[in-house]
Amino acid sequence: MSKKPARRAAAKRRVGSGARQAAGSPHGSALARESERALVEQIRRLLDLPPHERTHFLRVRLPNGGSAV
Amino acid sequence: MPASWRGGRHRPPYNELFDARRNTVQAMRNDEAKARRCPDGYPSRMNAAPLLALVSQVLVRHRLDAVVIGNAAAALQGSPVTTMDVDFMFRQTPTNLRKLKAVADDLEAMVLRPYYPASALFRVVRDRDGLQLDFMAKVDGVRSFEALKARATPVRFGRSTLLVASLRDIIRSKERAGRPQDLAVLPVLRKTLDEQEARKASRG
Repeated sequence: MSKKPARRAAAKRRVGSGARQAAGSPHGSALARESERALVEQIRRLLDLPPHERTHFLRVRLPNGGSAV
Repeated sequence: MPASWRGGRHRPPYNELFDARRNTVQAMRNDEAKARRCPDGYPSRMNAAPLLALVSQVLVRHRLDAVVIGNAAAALQGSPVTTMDVDFMFRQTPTNLRKLKAVADDLEAMVLRPYYPASALFRVVRDRDGLQLDFMAKVDGVRSFEALKARATPVRFGRSTLLVASLRDIIRSKERAGRPQDLAVLPVLRKTLDEQEARKASRG
């Protein structure tokens, strides 16, 4: 059984999102910016509420040891 | 369906019947989902308000001084974080331990010491519904209970008030603890603190 040539295997290797972000690709940075903007919006929404209404934080234990919101 | 539609030439076309039935089923599903949710759209089981009202009432009844810390306090201060339990800091004195036992009895729970003797953690657990309250005498990054209490914010739940630690104290304790789960939420907590301070500054 012949092995695949190294050059062909390298050409087929896919580049993940982490690599794209590291390379400074515009896709990665746009996602990061959007995620940041959504987080700040969520924080502002929560800060608009009085403290006694910011109570939706409890996770529920599941029988197999995990948890869920 | 109007009586005049049944049979004969007044029967509506199939599509109308199908749409009406589909709409009815969808409305029933919506009603069910609505019943399970709070008015603000979150599932009711996520809402800690009833639990916090009960706990604050019991703590006040037994005059046990405790301050909410950890992710529960961070969430009450406006951070988008979740947690499975509510953490408190208290002073470990014989009187307070008696009070803690009385609190657990009132909640129909039991007090455990899961990391004894390594840690001064008292865990109040109720098996019935998975209630878990962690009372800690020592917290990383917090020098004294009095200082933490002085900087805490009182928040009213039902008829009683709970003291909630300041976000700055929570961030400091998580930085000192340094566990992976603490480090994971730190960026969110810091961002919330920035937003809080920006609001204070804009109000003057």
